[in-house]
Amino acid sequence: MKANHGTLLAKQRRAGWIYLMPGTLLITIMSFIPIINAVITSLKTGSSANMKWSEPITYNYTRMLQDQLFQRSMFNTFLYLIVEVPIMLVLAMLLAQLLNNHDLKFKGFFRTCVFLPCATSLVSYSLIFKSLFATEGLVNTILVNLGILETNYNFLGNSTSAKIIIIIALIWRWTGYNMVFFLAGLQNIDYSVYEAAKIDGASGWQTFWKITVPLLRPTIVMTAIMSINGTLQLFDESVNLTSGGPANSTITMSHYIYNNSFGQGVANFGYASALSFVIFVMVAVLSFINMKVGDKRD
Amino acid sequence: MKKITRRAFLAGLAAVSAAGVLSACGGGSETASTAASAAGGAASAEGGHKLTAYAWDASFNIPALNAAAADYKANVDPDFELEVIEQSQSSDVENAITLAASAGDYSTLPDIVLFQDHYIQKYVTDYPDAFVPVEGADIDWSGISEEKLSYSVIDGTHYGVPVDNGTVIFAYRTDLLEQAGYTIDDMTGISWADFIKVGEDVFAATGKYLVSMDGDGNDLIYMMMQAEGQSQFKDGEPYITGNDTLRQICEVIVEMVQKNVCYLANDWSGYINQTILGDMVAGVMNGNWIIPTIRQVPENSGKWEITTLPTLAGGEGYASNGGSSLYITANCGNVDLAKAFLAYTFGGSTVTYDAALRDGGVITTVLACGESEVYNEGVEYFNNTPIYKQIVEMGGNVPVVEQSDYHYRARTYLAAGLINVINGANLDDELANAEQQIRFEMGL
Repeated sequence: MKANHGTLLAKQRRAGWIYLMPGTLLITIMSFIPIINAVITSLKTGSSANMKWSEPITYNYTRMLQDQLFQRSMFNTFLYLIVEVPIMLVLAMLLAQLLNNHDLKFKGFFRTCVFLPCATSLVSYSLIFKSLFATEGLVNTILVNLGILETNYNFLGNSTSAKIIIIIALIWRWTGYNMVFFLAGLQNIDYSVYEAAKIDGASGWQTFWKITVPLLRPTIVMTAIMSINGTLQLFDESVNLTSGGPANSTITMSHYIYNNSFGQGVANFGYASALSFVIFVMVAVLSFINMKVGDKRD
Repeated sequence: MKKITRRAFLAGLAAVSAAGVLSACGGGSETASTAASAAGGAASAEGGHKLTAYAWDASFNIPALNAAAADYKANVDPDFELEVIEQSQSSDVENAITLAASAGDYSTLPDIVLFQDHYIQKYVTDYPDAFVPVEGADIDWSGISEEKLSYSVIDGTHYGVPVDNGTVIFAYRTDLLEQAGYTIDDMTGISWADFIKVGEDVFAATGKYLVSMDGDGNDLIYMMMQAEGQSQFKDGEPYITGNDTLRQICEVIVEMVQKNVCYLANDWSGYINQTILGDMVAGVMNGNWIIPTIRQVPENSGKWEITTLPTLAGGEGYASNGGSSLYITANCGNVDLAKAFLAYTFGGSTVTYDAALRDGGVITTVLACGESEVYNEGVEYFNNTPIYKQIVEMGGNVPVVEQSDYHYRARTYLAAGLINVINGANLDDELANAEQQIRFEMGL
């Protein structure tokens, strides 16, 4: 250490650490300490003012195994994930491909249109979807007037249709967001590759699957990880669009965590923290699998 | 090297966003705590003449608090001042207590909070240090409705002073009943079986449902049970399977929904906006605090009247749902003033309660105050019948039933079960399931 003192390398290292300090401090205080506290809380039970170590210490975790409502919320969340993420990513990719066309006019306008849903707040778009699909809402009025429906249908009062509406809402809200990443990814693919493919007689469909998708793999991995994260933590839609109903059939894991901490006077922060940790592990595992599958360089 | 960095970055990204789950949960708390700090170290200092209070309904309970403050100022302490800090909903008050107690710092709380009756027992049990009992206040407890006090007396100690009266009314549109060939007297003391027949006739004649409810937070079960003198809890445990009355009531509700007698809205705002304000119903059954909502449709003035609840065997039923009371918090710097103020006003001042009724439609649970002139006046909206007098009388008949900290959890699980039954599930399975979930949450 002393031998190195004063050398250029050591100076640079010190400067590097100093530059890193503010960020490290912030992330420690804002993220790591709360995470550690959450682990400790997840091993406790009782009202939040008077928490005791649970008996046995893993009580909150074993409790989950018997908790039917948690299992239903997990089932719902994974249902949204499995149905919504692939549809959304394929749609986003197709839209990006369309909007990347050099011959397209008003490109900026269309891009803005597709991206615009992301500018709306989660709560307000949930509420808009709620009123659109209300029993007396716009969608019902249109469908009845067109003769497709005979009487107004209670979309949000039926568990299957309520789930479908959440998925439609998610697709509407997030497709444009993912499209932007794909657009950026497409900028990195040289246009000459496409021209060469055209000369070789490849159809548009072939070009998409044989050139665009393989070359976009890093972007696909990233958007998939972000979408999986986002969907596993789905909260606003479940709370505002359906309030988890009817009969808890659309409740998500994060919504259930909220209900356990602030819903109806429960304030069971120990159990809520344990649930949060289970989601954390799920996200980590899924992201790891995703990276393994997506990264073919090994 | 590069690969590892990228992985580490992505894994870090995943971890950080997962941690976001917890902070997402904190979202509600942040707003609540900002609200609390905006109120700014809210409580009073010792020896002063000023108190602060949280309340949440600008057209209902806040006018009642202001009425009490004016009364106390005029008749007891000319320097007295009450600052009412408006909350957007009752759960804001509950969250403020949860947060203050969790943080072990009560300094964000005001002197007095208005608190929902069904929640207070759980909060006093969970956070015993958050509230100061009102023992020793100059109040004649025997003059207050016993049912109301069954919420705020915890382990024999008085914690709260009652504000409003949650007595359940069944309001009917007499004009619609008439079209189907019935009168309000036919509906008084009717059995649920006959009620369903009337409901079918009313729906056939007018296309309106005879009653509606929020399907997610279904209060019908609790109210109908109380009218039978029964509870969903027995000796501190859920009493659902093997509770024949509860089973019959669930069957009645399912039948009502299937026969277009009852409409279950998707949520609370659907219940209020779609069914009541949207003129979908010929009847409303709920705590009398629903009256200001009914009155928001001016063209139906004079067409409504109120009566008691049906029961399973016939005969008039009485119930109470969703009132609130005032509680002194641990942060109160002037407990003596708070006690004196509550005792003088809501403890039994006719001046307070008359003004509360006039300005906010808040009905007293102090029996003597219900005999005042204002209560005997006919109300134009309700066909000039003296509904307030009726409600106070009905309130005296509400049976005391076993309460539980898990009242709203039971409501939620039973409501979910009922929706499943309406969609074809088996009632006994759903009841067993609900009981299991509630027992599970209670840690039994």
